[in-house]
Amino acid sequence: MRFARYIGYRLVTALPVIFGIIVLNFLLIHLAPGDAASVLAGESGAATPEYMDELRHKFGLDQSLGMQFLTYVSNMAHFNLGYSYRNDADVSSLILERLGPTSLLMLTAFGTAVALGIILGLVAATGRNSWRDNIISLISLVAYATPGFWLGLMMIVIFSIGLGWLPTSGFDTVGAGHEGWAEVWDVARHLVMPAVSLALFYLALYARLMRASVLEQTGMDYVTTARAKGQTERRIMTGHVLRNALLPIVTIAGVQAGNLIGGSIVVETVFGWPGIGTLAFNALQSRDLNLLLAIFFMSACLIVIINLAVDVIYVMLDPRMEI
Amino acid sequence: MVMIVQPEPSTLAHYAVTAGNIPPIATQIYEGLVTYDWDQNPQPNLATSWEIAPDGKSITFKLREGVVFHNGKPFTSADVQFSFMEILKKYHPFAPLLLAELTGVDTPDEKTAVLLLANPAPYLMKALAGRDLPIMCKSVFEGTQILQNPSANKPIGTGPFKFGQWDRGQFVRLDRNDKYWKPGLPYLDHIIARFIPDAATRSAALETGEAHFAGYSAVNYADLARMKTNPILDTTMKGYEMTPALSVLELNAKHPPLDKKEVRQAIAYAIDRKVILRDVMYGYGKPATGPLSSLFKAVGFYTDDVRNYDVPDRLEIANKLLDGAGLPRGANGMRFGMHLEVNSFGEQWLRQAEYLKQALAIVGVDLTLRSEDTATWLRRVYTDYDYDINEPFLSQGVDPVYGLNKQYLTSQIRKGVTFVNDSFYANPEFDGILNEAMREQDHDKRAVLYKKAQHILAEDCPLVWLIDVQYVSVFNRKLHDHTTGPLGTQQAFERAWLET
Repeated sequence: MRFARYIGYRLVTALPVIFGIIVLNFLLIHLAPGDAASVLAGESGAATPEYMDELRHKFGLDQSLGMQFLTYVSNMAHFNLGYSYRNDADVSSLILERLGPTSLLMLTAFGTAVALGIILGLVAATGRNSWRDNIISLISLVAYATPGFWLGLMMIVIFSIGLGWLPTSGFDTVGAGHEGWAEVWDVARHLVMPAVSLALFYLALYARLMRASVLEQTGMDYVTTARAKGQTERRIMTGHVLRNALLPIVTIAGVQAGNLIGGSIVVETVFGWPGIGTLAFNALQSRDLNLLLAIFFMSACLIVIINLAVDVIYVMLDPRMEI
Repeated sequence: MVMIVQPEPSTLAHYAVTAGNIPPIATQIYEGLVTYDWDQNPQPNLATSWEIAPDGKSITFKLREGVVFHNGKPFTSADVQFSFMEILKKYHPFAPLLLAELTGVDTPDEKTAVLLLANPAPYLMKALAGRDLPIMCKSVFEGTQILQNPSANKPIGTGPFKFGQWDRGQFVRLDRNDKYWKPGLPYLDHIIARFIPDAATRSAALETGEAHFAGYSAVNYADLARMKTNPILDTTMKGYEMTPALSVLELNAKHPPLDKKEVRQAIAYAIDRKVILRDVMYGYGKPATGPLSSLFKAVGFYTDDVRNYDVPDRLEIANKLLDGAGLPRGANGMRFGMHLEVNSFGEQWLRQAEYLKQALAIVGVDLTLRSEDTATWLRRVYTDYDYDINEPFLSQGVDPVYGLNKQYLTSQIRKGVTFVNDSFYANPEFDGILNEAMREQDHDKRAVLYKKAQHILAEDCPLVWLIDVQYVSVFNRKLHDHTTGPLGTQQAFERAWLET
């Protein structure tokens, strides 16, 4: 019950934050020079002033900034994210159709990175300076220093062009008409390379962090106490050290989870993955303000939720913390 | 069949947006009154025959029987009238040029449409393909807000393929139109237009056989050499005969010393176009000789008998011109500094800009490169006019009317409108020639006028013409009959077929 009330309280206090973000985003975006009408006309090669006026009228750009803001806020209050004139489509449907692929890629990559990172870090720390520690440290150093896009391209060269095992790009085989498990398998084959090239950097980071964190904890007094009590090394590791060592990982992962929405533009571009990152980038390039604001809004909400989740996980891991 | 379209179109409203990535998809769906043979002569399509009145002020089209739109509605003269008067004339970005003379469309019967013109418009017969002036279905648009019509992204036309599905960020699927008016066509069951933002991945998709066709230089020029050695791929430069384009430098004549003809000419002399062609364009294209693409040679409008800026002693001439203009070299060897606005539509333009900086430094012009994103760049150049030198890429349309009028006429100095006369070129004599050529019905007389116009422009040098662009298509050898006319990628793949 206390838990539910706490979450409710956090969500209510988040509302002014989100409103502030909406206002700030709106103002920041309008500082960028150029507008959607001129980009659209620019791509068309030529246009009349009348045509451009018509576009601006259609986009609502001929109204004062205050009016535009009021319209925007009132739309938001009605859960209406607006219309993307550039794409001739509803903003909410544009975002929704990207949400699935983005979440799939992000959760796969992030889940793999966190899980494998923790395991590798633990393995390395428990055999400090052994051959497996050295190998894991070396690999994570290389992975940490390798740019994701380069890795992606190299994988395409090796696994698609060279060996022909995996498709180069896309979400699934277009027009193949797979259903059921065949479709799952098809998507999984497309998912492997983007997920790996996205995950590797984070994996290296978490492995290194986990290793350092475990080593730090094993030197603590409570570990000596546990040993003195006669607990097995395995029990000490899983029962005491691991829970404490996970706290910094949760902190960092919580911060980085916020990057996930925007952080994958590069990988999305290389693998032609229909994600939100490229949608946001194109919206920015073409000054598609409704779409861009909606994506910002969504990221803001997501970060609020992730922060909340991190705090809840803290409490679960560390009973000393109170809500 | 899978083709690569780059970048993904923002909309398929082909009648209101003329971005170059829309026609490869839209022309499979929308058709024009005519199509063109390899000699660029009009051939029957939705119109079976046509007659131009002796005074040039009307064109009568007989329309094809038995054509139906994808929604089942029969195609009649009412559709032609509505398409021209209510959609194209009002919303097509090129209408102020191509349809300026169009005053109405008469429909004496269901299968006859008469375009009425205030003055002769000889260029119009070149622009009636589905790429330039498509025919839409009246009942889809009637009584709606044209620009908000839902068919913008679910187009309904008469073409060999019907719109199927658009998964944004991934692909557009087109399905065979079983009721197409050409018996037995098209051969393909589906066309899938895929969008892959990364150039290296696009190349990889072709190399693995995942995609079969990439037109319009969707593949980086740098990758083409490798593609050519791949046994499953081939390339062609055909299919771009009606898509002339030049890369140029625009010089802002409001910013001294660019107001002096000698200074502009000196800049034109200082640049070695062969270096740009070799190092930036990887050899695809030709050095531009003047304001008109050499593709217009085929129809007799092009001439290279103009001031030649590509002569062996060009650097001496450039230095002499700059000395003569009262711009001596300063202590650091530079005469004056200028900003160059880097084109934001791709990496090659930055490379070209880097070369230009070096080339102009040799004659003492100190260039500072400025890279901005597309919206900022367009605003700076075409609305604020806050630029010295700009490096755009100009498509020249199907007739000189298109490329020359919008770029050089005094009346085309239009604040806030992109890709028009932003270099403030104003020459009444030249304007007169162009206006005369626009209405001249005799082809040979037109050609003489346009040659004169090119001569004047080359002398006044309001722009520096760099490269006559050549696009390339890469295709899988299993794909046949994909490029069947001069519009190439921008006409339907009705006869294309795929070996299995």
